Amino acid sequence: MRKPKLDFINFSVILSLLIIAGSWFYIIVGQNASLTALFTGKNLEYAAKFFKGLFGVGVEDPAFTNRDSWSSALSLTLDTLQMSIMAIGFATVTMFLTVIPATRTVANGSLTLSKKRYSWISYGLIRVSYVFSRAIPELVWAMVIIFIFKPGILPGAIALALHNFGILGKLCAEVIEDLDKRPARNLASSGASKWQILMYAVLPAVMPQYLTYILYRWEVIMRTTIVVGFVGAGGLGQQFKMSMSFFHYTDITLLLICYIVLVFIADYVSEKSRNFVK
Amino acid sequence: MNKLSLAYELHKRKLLTLLLTGVFIWSLFAVQWSTGLIHGSGLATAGQIFGAMFQPDVSADILIIALESSWITLAYAAAGMSLAIILAFFLGIWASGVLASGAKSRYFMKGTFRSVLGFMRAIHELVWAWLFVASFGLSPYAAVFALAIPYGGILGRIFADMLNDVPKEPIQALESAGASRIQCLIYGYLPNVRANILSYVMYRFECAVRSSAIMSFVGLGGLGYQIQLSLDDLQYNEVWTFLFFLIGVVVLIDLWSSQLRRRLAL
Amino acid sequence: MSNPEILDINQISKHFERKVALSSLSFSVKKGERVALIGPSGAGKTTLLNILASVIEPDEGQVFLDGEPMQEYADRKKFAKKIGIIRQQFDLVGQLPVIHNVLAGKLADWGFAKSILSLLIPQEKEAAIRSLERVGLPDKVYERTANLSGGEQQRVALARLLVQSPQIVLADEPVASLDPARAEDVLFMLTKLAAEENQTLIASLHSIDYARKYFDRLIALKDGVLFFDLEADKVTDEQLKELYQLKELVR
Repeated sequence: MRKPKLDFINFSVILSLLIIAGSWFYIIVGQNASLTALFTGKNLEYAAKFFKGLFGVGVEDPAFTNRDSWSSALSLTLDTLQMSIMAIGFATVTMFLTVIPATRTVANGSLTLSKKRYSWISYGLIRVSYVFSRAIPELVWAMVIIFIFKPGILPGAIALALHNFGILGKLCAEVIEDLDKRPARNLASSGASKWQILMYAVLPAVMPQYLTYILYRWEVIMRTTIVVGFVGAGGLGQQFKMSMSFFHYTDITLLLICYIVLVFIADYVSEKSRNFVK
Repeated sequence: MNKLSLAYELHKRKLLTLLLTGVFIWSLFAVQWSTGLIHGSGLATAGQIFGAMFQPDVSADILIIALESSWITLAYAAAGMSLAIILAFFLGIWASGVLASGAKSRYFMKGTFRSVLGFMRAIHELVWAWLFVASFGLSPYAAVFALAIPYGGILGRIFADMLNDVPKEPIQALESAGASRIQCLIYGYLPNVRANILSYVMYRFECAVRSSAIMSFVGLGGLGYQIQLSLDDLQYNEVWTFLFFLIGVVVLIDLWSSQLRRRLAL
Repeated sequence: MSNPEILDINQISKHFERKVALSSLSFSVKKGERVALIGPSGAGKTTLLNILASVIEPDEGQVFLDGEPMQEYADRKKFAKKIGIIRQQFDLVGQLPVIHNVLAGKLADWGFAKSILSLLIPQEKEAAIRSLERVGLPDKVYERTANLSGGEQQRVALARLLVQSPQIVLADEPVASLDPARAEDVLFMLTKLAAEENQTLIASLHSIDYARKYFDRLIALKDGVLFFDLEADKVTDEQLKELYQLKELVR
């Protein structure tokens, strides 16, 4: 019993090392990228200029001391906040609508002691959609969504929700699968219907874990809002991209400050609320 | 009073749920739902994009480009992760404070390095990538470093948490046997967290592949770059080919890592 | 016919893979009887109770419930009026307050809307409080169930059965994870309540002492067959010794 286990782990370690070595080889030799070339005098000059620009050295009226810039940045910050909340909200609602049939113990009837012929079909379809939504990064979703929706925070929220729908769905289905089946089965044998079992035995048991996951994903979404903004999906990111194109470096600094503060606030709020429900 | 605190204990989850629902509803007011939110031809485009899903472009040149881009994406992810692991190893050990001798220096080390890690992961990898490209120009290293920093931050934080959760008894036994802090680390802490940290690294590797795919956005190659080019040319069939390759790579790594995690958990 | 047969088990057999769990088992139970199922582990007690609870179906044979074959009770709501089950305390939803766990006994009667409403404002609260009083937990109505001790949780399960009020109560090792004092407590209450409600009680037990003390009739199973079926005070120590003896030793 012990041998195959070791073999697979050893194989994985060797494969990982091979991939890593191959990657570095490809980057250094194949793409002919030289680390020292990064630090030529010319590059350093550019870098220095860039950072000076960010810190507003020698710039008249840098954005982070300008009142108007602040007020527009703060209103963008609020937009971004609302976008992140909308995104996690959409993801949560769609997750709740799909998670029950996507649970193996529901599909095979072992949780509710009732089984329907189409259970496995809906299970498979939803699981495939989870994989699909999870594997495609938010930014790619945003690039596609922006073809359909007009720029603004709605497409951003939808793109973020599309990616997180799959992640939340998978995590939350696993929570139900790992649940102690006995309370649910007992309710089933005392005559409760499938929906009553969900309300009385499943939901109260999974809710704390779900809240934790949802808050945690919200933190991640917060961090990603800026990225979907790059393709025109609203908020700080969109402005960031614009300032970048116009080389308004001090604007970028201001936006980065707002972004980082927002991320830290989100981390703090989420951690506090997670402790609250523990 | 007792009854009140009991009621509070019982209902606090409902309260939080209610509050969160309220916040979500508030966020919906940020969108002006009455005005046209969709492009005039938006629905038609959506139909085209959806239709193209069932007929991805499988011509030889596209497949070759897709294979090559998949490898670039994977290579950046693997190189970035290898750096991230090294970063996380040292920063995580320092941030856990297990090397500090006194309570005061431990507090100081924990505080300093945890904020360093926090800063590293607060900024999204794409923003890091943009910073590197803007200051050093287009180079694969920009992608590798951009991945290594936030992933180093996440891994380091988790590594530090795991080190702090190591049961105290074996460590105390080692200490009483006269082991130094470094010896405690090598013989006590590290073997204890090995399996868990490996599982977590594998899980993060999958995320790194996804992140690596979007590095294209600042002009670096890979699957995301091809997706973007095809989208700009309105070649939805090609887009889907690349998307399927991306999904394939992510699913393969997911399968591999879940197999490995199951075996490590035994 | 003052004491009609409520349960008639006719030649039932059940196999799992190749293992025989029950083979041609037959007996019947009269209304109001208190029956203990005893026997070594793996004898088929739990399989039998699961068949009676219609969680699994027998491969052969039939079970008649109140004169009708079990298949007539395909509707779980109808079935819940006939048979209620109590297992170990893990059958309660730990995250819910006690009152909702007790009211879960009413779910068979309630529609969907009423069961959701009840989670916010408990419905038919009086019934729940009355049954909690009868099991001696009147002050724990709004407590989180997981915070209760094992014995208290088992009493909450009894209160749920009172609310459900079936004609037959099946108990699968109801005191298996309790310490002796709590176990006696729960068994005493279980048998007392069954008597008060004029319910038929069938319980599987690992302890012979409890079985003799609290039950009228002992049915012993061994390797899936009926070993003996006697009134509680007619069981001899010899028979018990033989029941629990390992096969090798008999040979």
